[in-house]
Amino acid sequence: MSRAIELSDVVAGLEPEGQATQLSLAIDPGEFVVLLGPNRAGKSLILEVCAGLVTPQQGRVRVLGEEWVELSDHGRMKLRTRIGTVLQLPGLLSNMTVFNNAALPLRYHRPTLSDRDIDRVVTGHLTALGLAQLRDRFPAQLNPGEIRCAAIARAMVLDQELLLLDDPVAGLDAGTVQRLGEHLANRRQRGPFTVLATLRSYSPFLELADRVAVVREGRIEAIAPRSVIAQTGSAEMSAYFR
Amino acid sequence: MVAWVGQKVLDACHYVWALWELASQALCDLVRPGEQGRRETLRVITRQILFTGVDALPVTTVIALMLGIIIITQAGTQLPRLGAGGLVGSIIVITVIRELGPLVTAIIVVGRSGTAIATELGNMSVGREVVALQLLGIPVARFIVMPRMVGMVAAMICLTLYFDVVAVLGGFLVAKAKLTIPFDAFLEGVTRALSLPDVALTALKPILFGSAVAAVCCHHGLSVRSSYTEVPQQTTRAMINSVTLCLLLDLLITVPTYL
Repeated sequence: MSRAIELSDVVAGLEPEGQATQLSLAIDPGEFVVLLGPNRAGKSLILEVCAGLVTPQQGRVRVLGEEWVELSDHGRMKLRTRIGTVLQLPGLLSNMTVFNNAALPLRYHRPTLSDRDIDRVVTGHLTALGLAQLRDRFPAQLNPGEIRCAAIARAMVLDQELLLLDDPVAGLDAGTVQRLGEHLANRRQRGPFTVLATLRSYSPFLELADRVAVVREGRIEAIAPRSVIAQTGSAEMSAYFR
Repeated sequence: MVAWVGQKVLDACHYVWALWELASQALCDLVRPGEQGRRETLRVITRQILFTGVDALPVTTVIALMLGIIIITQAGTQLPRLGAGGLVGSIIVITVIRELGPLVTAIIVVGRSGTAIATELGNMSVGREVVALQLLGIPVARFIVMPRMVGMVAAMICLTLYFDVVAVLGGFLVAKAKLTIPFDAFLEGVTRALSLPDVALTALKPILFGSAVAAVCCHHGLSVRSSYTEVPQQTTRAMINSVTLCLLLDLLITVPTYL
């Protein structure tokens, strides 16, 4: 069985600082991996490489069995429907309500789906993430945490196989982090669902991870189950595990 | 100096090529729409037609009426002195239907909708909404550019025809009230001066102008990269370049057709 994500000897540059990310990473289908490290460590860049937004100068990037560079525009768009991605700036469409934002991928990619089915699927995600009351609000009327949750809902409505989350807990209160964790756990129970998330500080969200990769200065210093990293990491890293 | 001129020419060529790529991609998406996103795309097209066409009717009416009145007032008072009073109808055809109708409509559309498109897309680019669409597997050309181009072209055709009709009517009102030119004579002058190429160009120009304005404004809107301060800069460029391109296209059509 092929890996969900496979980065082999990838070199990707950070402009204009010139710092380059050099790494290899393999994630199996169904795994939950967290990239942990300080700001400017290259975590977001790794995520963007996986999402096909950044083409590395060297190395191979294989996601869900497909290599980004080998795909046509159509192939890329098709692969993207299997990947849910939420970047640091989640990019909710400002002229659409929360509901319409979350419904957009379904309306676009599943034209045969009825409005009722779309409503059912979207409402399910919004309710699970505590956004049901805010469904008719526009992004400008939400706080950053609510925007992030709405973007996560939008990234999951197509039942994606892989979820890439850049700092998913930024701006979220403790209750919402717990709800998000439960929602992801429920989705994982329904079938293979891989999650790659970044974190820059300790969060209960970290407890969900099967493995944690410590990222510093563009490199993965260590990757192992959370308990192992917590015990063997440096004193500096222990701050990430409380 | 030569290097500077050469660089400017190269930049202009790149710019025109980028516009052509955007417009041709939109055309391809229009010809091969596919099943995916059809309803959403139609929704964007409808919204664009409403905003560019229907919402612009009041301002178009006022400008067309005033322009028709001004032209006929000038023509109706000056031409009889030269013994060419019968050419009033021709004047309105030559000035309004051939040239000013499509051009002034294009300028109205640039000022209202073109700037709105550039601003909207610029803000979307900075807010990473455009990237978010890509990440959702929604092609930007199909979801953003093509519907705006189609909507703008459709609205521009209708607005130009509307502009022509209102301007001619405005001219007639003056002709009837002040210049004592009978409606029949006025209408005969208009229809006599109106040729098939005029009608064809009245349809062709809005198509070209609409495509050009939409391509330029989408291009500049999507060119915004990292800061909200770039948005007004790109919007201004979009506006100036749109008007310039419309004039250039008009020149390229008018000179071979009528010279």
